[in-house]
Amino acid sequence: MNKIKNIKWKNYINYIVIGLLTVVFAALSMFGGLKTSTAYLLEEIAIKIILAVSLSLVVGFLGELSLGHAGFMCVGAYLGGKVAALLVAPLGNGFLTLIISLLVGGACAGLCGFLIGLPALRLRGDYLAITTLAFGEIVRTIFQNTSAETFGGPIGLPTPRFEAKYFYVICFATVLITLFVVQNLIRSKHGRAIKAIRDNEIAARATGINITGYKLLGFVLSAVFAGIAGVLYSYTKFNVSSQIFDYNYSIEILVIVVLGGMGNINGSMIAAVLVTFLNRYLANVLTGNLAVLKDLIYALVLIVIVIYNNAPKLKSFREKYNIKALTDKLKRKKATEADGKEEV
Amino acid sequence: MKKAILKVLALCMCAAMLLCSLVACGDKKNDKIVIGLTGPLTGGASIYGIAVRNSAQMAVDEINEAGGLNGIEFKLDMRDDEHKAENVANLYTGLVEDGMQVSLGTVTTKPGLEFKNLSKDDNVFFLTPSATGDAIPEYDNGYQMCFADSNQGTAAAEFFNENYVGKKIGIFFKADDEYSKGINDNFKAALDDSFDVTEANFTGDASTFDSQIATLKDCEIVFMPIYYTPASQFMTQAKSVDNSITTYYGCDGFDGIDAIEGFDITSIPQEISMLSHFNSTATEGPAAEFIKKYNDKYDEAKEPLNQFGAAAYDCVYAIYEALKVAVENGKEVTAETSASEMCDILTEVFNSDSFEFRGITGKCEGNEKSHISWSEDGTVVKEAIKYIVKEKNA
Amino acid sequence: MEFLTTFVNGLSLGGIYAMIALGYTMVYGIAKMLNFAHGDIIMVGGYTILLFLAVNPIVAIVASMIFCMLLGIVIEKVAYKPLRGASPLAVLITAIGVSYLLQSISQMIFGSAPKFIVIAELGILKIGGLSIGYSTIITLACSLVVMIALSLFVKFSKTGRAMVAVSEDKGAAQLMGINVNNIIMITFAIGSALAALASVFFLLKAPTMSPTFGSLPGIKAFTAAVIGGIGSIPGAMLGGILLGVIECFAQSVPVISPYTDAIEFSILIILLLVKPSGLLGKKRREKV
Repeated sequence: MNKIKNIKWKNYINYIVIGLLTVVFAALSMFGGLKTSTAYLLEEIAIKIILAVSLSLVVGFLGELSLGHAGFMCVGAYLGGKVAALLVAPLGNGFLTLIISLLVGGACAGLCGFLIGLPALRLRGDYLAITTLAFGEIVRTIFQNTSAETFGGPIGLPTPRFEAKYFYVICFATVLITLFVVQNLIRSKHGRAIKAIRDNEIAARATGINITGYKLLGFVLSAVFAGIAGVLYSYTKFNVSSQIFDYNYSIEILVIVVLGGMGNINGSMIAAVLVTFLNRYLANVLTGNLAVLKDLIYALVLIVIVIYNNAPKLKSFREKYNIKALTDKLKRKKATEADGKEEV
Repeated sequence: MKKAILKVLALCMCAAMLLCSLVACGDKKNDKIVIGLTGPLTGGASIYGIAVRNSAQMAVDEINEAGGLNGIEFKLDMRDDEHKAENVANLYTGLVEDGMQVSLGTVTTKPGLEFKNLSKDDNVFFLTPSATGDAIPEYDNGYQMCFADSNQGTAAAEFFNENYVGKKIGIFFKADDEYSKGINDNFKAALDDSFDVTEANFTGDASTFDSQIATLKDCEIVFMPIYYTPASQFMTQAKSVDNSITTYYGCDGFDGIDAIEGFDITSIPQEISMLSHFNSTATEGPAAEFIKKYNDKYDEAKEPLNQFGAAAYDCVYAIYEALKVAVENGKEVTAETSASEMCDILTEVFNSDSFEFRGITGKCEGNEKSHISWSEDGTVVKEAIKYIVKEKNA
Repeated sequence: MEFLTTFVNGLSLGGIYAMIALGYTMVYGIAKMLNFAHGDIIMVGGYTILLFLAVNPIVAIVASMIFCMLLGIVIEKVAYKPLRGASPLAVLITAIGVSYLLQSISQMIFGSAPKFIVIAELGILKIGGLSIGYSTIITLACSLVVMIALSLFVKFSKTGRAMVAVSEDKGAAQLMGINVNNIIMITFAIGSALAALASVFFLLKAPTMSPTFGSLPGIKAFTAAVIGGIGSIPGAMLGGILLGVIECFAQSVPVISPYTDAIEFSILIILLLVKPSGLLGKKRREKV
């Protein structure tokens, strides 16, 4: 009985933490204690979390390298943003418009994911990586060259902006939905099939798992959420320009997923928070002449963390000096101290 | 179970960190008037942002040395937007929270579109040195020091209509750049129909232009509404192709083409001329003085000057002069005046017919500084300079 | 005629892409990693040439190749070697970190303003109505020579054979007494030296260098190497030239020109769907 309770608690811990934090921040902003910059940062963090969790589904659980996540986001941002821009006049800039554009953006991105995934998932490893990268760049180029009336061309698409003060609450609600869907999928029978494919495709095929079907499912679902993140992104900006959805953006998300630990959703979320915060903090602190240090610091931090986390030779060092070991040590120390006292 | 506790711990730490640094903790008090802006300080477009940073800093230092605004000093706060619109919201709010009272907006157009909307709600005055987009001064709080894209395209077309009648015109532009495309569209619209026009374009960071040169090689005048780096590439590569091009004609993005380190402009056989608001080849007058001051202070090779910098220098002085006028008119301006109050004060001055700023951009007659004023819609009124950077080789 | 001119232009650009792709494919074939910092090594090569250009162009080229070789080795030792045996994605991320690092360091040293680096002014060869720059001929000839030399090296030299062995199976190679670490180090040295050489041909054609220069050739090399079949040396050459020719033809039509990237990448996708291991890549059967 106790055991079951524990497992449940563990499974829902991330929902609880995110929910609580959102409530705390919402309460703060109601009493005017929240900076506008924090509200913007929270929006951005939420969007990055959605992107990271959805990419984690492909990279961490499906075991395929995708470098085109920004492409799906671009589809969502442009199409969802366009729908929102068109609907604002008849429906107003409210929830209805938002929900419709989220659905449209997610569906369109999912469709793209299906179209590209169906043939591309035959490819393995780095060949799939370059195909997805190519897809992202194609999407970007196409939106860049549209006419001013349709999608704004190089200058970008003007999109409606939601009331900035509370939009992050909506963003975090979407994070919860994303988490719910992705986690439930992973923990279901289908999730186990997906993980089996990652670990050994041939063995999985031999056990009768529908490889193409499951791969497509993961890929399309990931694209849908990338599209939804794109729509949210378009809502946080006055103007969406395809310039930023290049492969560097996909790589940024990939960095988050890898830093968080492959196939570790909570890790991805923490990494999303930390990376976004670090980038934004550095940009605001290193001003003027110091701006060039920003990239330098980011690059060094990246290299050091990845090597520290992944290097096989550092394993023993890591085991000795991580938080868990340190807390264990403290506990042991306390225990021995307690023992000592008892003895006296 | 232990793992779960650890995760909770990690999440709580994140939360605590966020809470500590992100929650409002009382407004800081300014002891200086803070001028804020964003611009590219790293990445591909950083030459423009760095010139702006240096020149604006120079202007601020000069004003402070001369005693500031009745003793109140100025301070420049510039942040790196990497020429990306997505970075602006964070930087803008950061600037506002760190006490920005007046702004120079953004250096480039795309981030500027974000900036104008954000600053509208807060009523923050901005005078951008170089965001040329037509939509930038859309709201009451936005002003431009540079000519808008439409203005540049039309002015260039008018020049062509008058001076290049009957010539074959080529256009070389950057298809994925709003500046280049904006000027090009307006240029074509205003150009006389009798011209025979050939177009070629490129995208991204391309630096080899063989195909485009082959397309344009039979033209006589090539109009290039692009920045100077690709332009210099085009000219250099065109040398090795038989062509009938006699003149390269550019807009303000051309400015600085003669200052690229290692680029021997005299090796280009054609005439290179441009229509701009600043002459960076000036040898006398206020512009030359400014260029000398800049090059004395900064490393010319590493952080070269271009018209972006000159415009930023003028922007700072224009704001300073306008505040001086306001003080003379009995307005109270202190280091603690709020951004919104500052905006009302400045827009009133900038919109008044009597306000005229004497700067280094625009046409300077001899040693006289140029005349610059602003129309109600926020666009600049000054005289453009058409000048020849390099004559055609005989 | 116009067709021929465009084709020659394409060959000239393709020669440069081929050169970069050769280095890229070497590193990929043996170390099995997507080296996102490869383009930035080209950039460092360009700046090194600038430093030594005052002495003598040939000295500058040699110095740049040596410097890049050393840089390649250092990067490999510091950023990639500790991760051997870890997930390939981890190496990908450090490669990206190295790329950012090289960019910001060169911005600090050289400033962000682009610099003109004219190594030599080469003339034009005129055959009939067709004009071909000598730089084109040199580029093509050099990349051909490098390709052949590399192929021979891999096929016949002891180190080359060892490279093939390492790329096939690291563990087995080690058991056969091959020093895997040394082989990978040599691969990085060769790949980086080729990157420096590629920067020479880039500068002969388009003489500017800026800190962010590397990202474009990096991605082109990746594409070219994949078109040709990753790991295949003649494939990289073929892929590079194909990419250059496609690019030049697309750019010669103003209406299509803005879509050049999209066209290149679409061709890549279609090609991969038809031939999943590239034009000359080896098909590998997966075993349990």
